[in-house]
Amino acid sequence: MVVYVEGVGMTKIDRHYDFSLKDLAAKAAFNAIDQAGGTDGIDYLIFSSSLASLQDSQLDSASYLALSLGLKGVRALNVEAGEASGLAAISVAKSLLESHQADKVLVVGAEKLNEFVSSKVYKQLQMLYDGDTKSFYNIGFAGEAALLMRLYMDTYNVDRETMSYWPALMHSNAKENPYAMLNFAIKPDKVAKSQILADPITLLDSYPLGDGAAAVILSNKDVAKSPIAKISAIESSTGYGSIELSDDPLQFDSLSDAYRRISNIADVSNIDFIEIHDSFTITAMIILETLGLANRGKAAELVSTGYFSPGGKGPAANLSGGLKARGHPLGATGVYQIVESSLQVSGKFPGIKLSNAKKGLVVSLNGLGSSAYVALVEEV
Amino acid sequence: MSMDLSISRFWRKKEIIYKLNGAKCKSCGKVHYPPKNACPYCGSRDLEYIELPRKGKLISYTTIYAIPEGARSQSPIYFGLIDLGITKITAELTDITDPSILKKDMEVEATLRKTQEDRDAGLIYYVLKFRPVLVQK
Amino acid sequence: MVNPKAGIHGWGAYIPIYRLPLSDIAKVWGWHPDQYKGLAVEEKAIAGSDEDALTMGYEAAYNAIQRAKIEPKKIGAIFFGTESKPYAVKPSATIIGEALGITPYTMASDLEFACRAASEGMRSLIGMAASGLIDYGLAIGSDTAQANPGDVLEFTAASGAAAFVIGKTNNAVAIIEDSVTFVTDTPDFWRRSSQPYPLHGEGFTGEPAYFYHIENAVKTLLERTGLKPSDFDYAIFHQPNGKFPVKVGQDLGFNMDQMKDGLVTPMIGNTYNASALMGLARVLDKAKAGQKILLAPFGSGAGSDAYLITVTDEVENRKHLAPMVDDYLNRKILINYATYARSRSIIHVIK
Repeated sequence: MVVYVEGVGMTKIDRHYDFSLKDLAAKAAFNAIDQAGGTDGIDYLIFSSSLASLQDSQLDSASYLALSLGLKGVRALNVEAGEASGLAAISVAKSLLESHQADKVLVVGAEKLNEFVSSKVYKQLQMLYDGDTKSFYNIGFAGEAALLMRLYMDTYNVDRETMSYWPALMHSNAKENPYAMLNFAIKPDKVAKSQILADPITLLDSYPLGDGAAAVILSNKDVAKSPIAKISAIESSTGYGSIELSDDPLQFDSLSDAYRRISNIADVSNIDFIEIHDSFTITAMIILETLGLANRGKAAELVSTGYFSPGGKGPAANLSGGLKARGHPLGATGVYQIVESSLQVSGKFPGIKLSNAKKGLVVSLNGLGSSAYVALVEEV
Repeated sequence: MSMDLSISRFWRKKEIIYKLNGAKCKSCGKVHYPPKNACPYCGSRDLEYIELPRKGKLISYTTIYAIPEGARSQSPIYFGLIDLGITKITAELTDITDPSILKKDMEVEATLRKTQEDRDAGLIYYVLKFRPVLVQK
Repeated sequence: MVNPKAGIHGWGAYIPIYRLPLSDIAKVWGWHPDQYKGLAVEEKAIAGSDEDALTMGYEAAYNAIQRAKIEPKKIGAIFFGTESKPYAVKPSATIIGEALGITPYTMASDLEFACRAASEGMRSLIGMAASGLIDYGLAIGSDTAQANPGDVLEFTAASGAAAFVIGKTNNAVAIIEDSVTFVTDTPDFWRRSSQPYPLHGEGFTGEPAYFYHIENAVKTLLERTGLKPSDFDYAIFHQPNGKFPVKVGQDLGFNMDQMKDGLVTPMIGNTYNASALMGLARVLDKAKAGQKILLAPFGSGAGSDAYLITVTDEVENRKHLAPMVDDYLNRKILINYATYARSRSIIHVIK
């Protein structure tokens, strides 16, 4: 079943020291609500945030957010799926709409990653990875992805320079996006020269720690008045999420499952653009290959040829600038991706616009694929 | 006076983190570490606990400079994906000062080391890390 | 007097990989460049930032159990001798016992007697094993030796560990034929509660402490056993530096040939509770069946033990079951004073 996007809102991703989590959430939510014609008929508030309990010291944050938004009395719940929280929240909203437990749902994703010093945030972000193994070590947020990146480069004999085209493409896209945190261009050769976080991952291979919020109003067909886009399908799966458990860590098993599932219920061919979860350069490469958009070991090279660039032969990748350059406020990211894709298919995206974009595929993951979500966003 | 780290979380896992106790699935035969409640490969709950080999070979490795809270005294952190033959694990690597010695297929062995300390007055936590093998056979 | 006998079933050592040249200490603290030459030590072994007396003791004990070829559960007592225990209150012995698979049916405690606590553990285990109270016991000496930065003691205070599995005499690699302990109240070296570093009486640590106690313990042992220095193949003394053990040995009538294999401090500094015991481990790495060893650990405060140990032919079957002391001696990374200060927490940081 299809659900409709009636209103969207987002804040620029930044170090918003002057705004609280609720302030940011309100900015995005009020935009979405106003665009959709007001608060009337909103049955549910789904709030997506990964670290709200730690960064905002708040539990039951959806209910307190409802109060703060002037929506007291609405049904509200939190959805947390690590970095995939945003699409998980959209998925829950869609289920509520499909089952007619709700006809109109406000989904808000908000995250602050700058309430504490970076070493504490690295420790919080380490929670994205399997605590069974990783919590006894001090690997921070980039350690496990670094193992994957080296394994990828060794296995497929891909050099550092080729990998660097992805961050450069992301910055080039983000440059045009007023909501992006890092809206400046970089040359590929700058990536390898930037600060090393976890060798071979550099600062420019990784996402910035940003604060931000995004919101959408989703409705059923009979309720939607002037939708800007529709979400035709959304699917998900769970996976190993750990490099050591998987026999084939160079593919994300959860994403492979989710993609197979969505292919069974929707036509995901002839996609005009993709918004994928490029938390690191390596995650982008593996997503592209898991989706079959690039042959194994060839994604980086394909990126370097301009295949995924705006106007390239393949689907345009991350016109927003991606997690890499738009930014990655964890629980809000999936909602950003839906907002940006909805604006893209309605010709209203404030950054790089594709002419005649009809279909976009949104991919979100947690960590190295403990969960994976895929959504199909189409023009109305 | 407060503590940041959970006492019981480490304590209940001590067999696993001190002795490298993994689980072997009696149904599909695959080994994983640390033990989950059911086999991650076939879902069987029929698991037996086994001590994993203490020596293995590096498959991948990294030197981590983005250090999480509490670990600054051990910076940089070396971390590896290790092939133990019957299974793979990830673990911190130690006794390394020059990251350029890290190589694929390098032989490493387990040794008990400190991993986290709960500030100045709290508990000290120990875990098996891996270092380059002492005696090349 | 009854003379219970026990056997050494396994031995193991551990030396951390890092070495600090003493010249670096002299430079940092403004000592005359030749100040430390009389100590006959050039480098000292330093534990890494993720090591402490417990982790080092664990590895030495792991090696000892490998050589003993026994199930860890057969060990009925763990004595952990150290003066640098990670916890003032909370036994390190239980953590080591757990990590080695010895717990829960075992005695376990941390012993303190400056540098001879582990030796006290060995003497206790002799009686416990001989009486049948336990099948096997584990004595561990391990220290990340502390010294007040800038004090002359800093030249030699080093890190290392040694461990022994003690049991009955049958199937042992060496028999502890006899042993003597000699202690008095002699305040040569101490560390008060809650103080990070020990102080000492300089020259007072020599004649009235080190020499007096070791000489009395060894002479008593010789009298009891009717042996003379020339009857021994090896003589090992506590080694606060490279000079004292040679002098005490010569004063007692031993020669360098008997002492050289057991002298480890000249290469890595004084590992406190592991000092003489590391010497014993290195001697067992090399010893042959029938050879006789004199071992005399010393601890400030003060006391000394003297042991008569005879090697059996079983020793050859065990040597290669764990790394030898020389394997650890040969593995080294040179560090500077700054790295040493960081890894030994001499630099104060807010956690």
